[in-house]
Amino acid sequence: MENMGHMVEELLHELSVLPLFSEHVGTFTLTNYTFFLLIAFTVTVVFFAVATRRISLVPKGIGNVVEAGVSFVRDGLCVDILGSENGRKYFPFIGTIFFFVLFNNLIGLVPGALPGTGTIGVTVTWGVIVFLVYNTIGIKKNGFFRYMKSFVPSGTPIFLMPLIFLLEIVSHFLRPITLGIRLYANMYAGHIMLGIFTILVAISLEHLSPGSAVTGGLAFAMRIVMHGFEVFVAVLQAYIFSILTTVYINGALHASEH
Amino acid sequence: MEAIIPKVPEVLVALASFVVLFALLSKFAFPPVTKMLDERAEKIRESLEKAEETRVEAERLLEEYRVQMAEARTEAAKVIDQGRTVAENMKNEIIAKAREEAEAEKVKAIEAIQAEKTAAMSELQASVADLSVAVAGKIIGQKLSAADHAALIERSIAEVGSLNEK
Repeated sequence: MENMGHMVEELLHELSVLPLFSEHVGTFTLTNYTFFLLIAFTVTVVFFAVATRRISLVPKGIGNVVEAGVSFVRDGLCVDILGSENGRKYFPFIGTIFFFVLFNNLIGLVPGALPGTGTIGVTVTWGVIVFLVYNTIGIKKNGFFRYMKSFVPSGTPIFLMPLIFLLEIVSHFLRPITLGIRLYANMYAGHIMLGIFTILVAISLEHLSPGSAVTGGLAFAMRIVMHGFEVFVAVLQAYIFSILTTVYINGALHASEH
Repeated sequence: MEAIIPKVPEVLVALASFVVLFALLSKFAFPPVTKMLDERAEKIRESLEKAEETRVEAERLLEEYRVQMAEARTEAAKVIDQGRTVAENMKNEIIAKAREEAEAEKVKAIEAIQAEKTAAMSELQASVADLSVAVAGKIIGQKLSAADHAALIERSIAEVGSLNEK
């Protein structure tokens, strides 16, 4: 049991932000997470570089995959929520979010790797980018004062206006944080769970007995099932991050209609 | 607590990588893919429209052929009817003509028979007269005067004539 506690501690240490080539995390230090983030970046660039060369009127192989992905995000997400014109206009931004988050999440499922999205620094940064982008869109589309005015729904009693405005402002400022924490927490928790089942299997193998064989077998089966489930979570979280971004942009575009 | 405070290097890498990736994807990756998707959608739309046009044209042609077939059937029935009428008329004409010819032949034959009969009767009357005279002469053993002859002949002829009339 003591051994397990030690292993869990080790797992948590491995999943914490660690500098790769130095003792401490400085301003320009490469960490374990940013290392895999850059790998995910490279994989994303290579994937699109290869896939865009293979697209044709009758797609095949990787061309099919990239077209299905782009079509899913552009038509099934952007155009559906923002309409044809705005959907196509903002697709590059939303598409970049979707594919970058997806590739980071999936890279983290390769044994020994970590997801770039498994650290709050990365996910909240992207949340802030989304926050800045959708507010800029809202201000450009409606003008600063009309956009600010949209924070108070029409028909609100005058004495409640300051409170509602404040609440809206707070809720807007919470959006990048909730976006970031949701993604980070899902990825981080998923990896802890996979790590725990791996530790259980390891301990069962270490102290081999009929009882531990059963426990180990179950833990191994759960490890496999959870790995499959994490693939689903990886796609789902990329989708959630993208759909929320799209919804925020849509809200900003139609702010003056509220 | 430390785990939930964003670290500066992560923020910088996340920001830079996102900006660069956005620039790369929106410039080089997404345009060809979305262009191909739009082209394909357009092509599919055109194909569907063309297929619809072809279907409408095919239905129009089918309807045209149906009308033509119906007209042809009506025309054929008309031609058959006309043919039947002409044949019927011809048949009647032929029969009528045959009847006329047969009637004429019959009349001709009756006339010929009648002429033959008349001739035969005349010949018979002459023969009967001669024979009667001869027989009467033999029976009564005497010669008859010319006046008796004549009277006798007249009477015989009259008798033969009445027989013929019967």
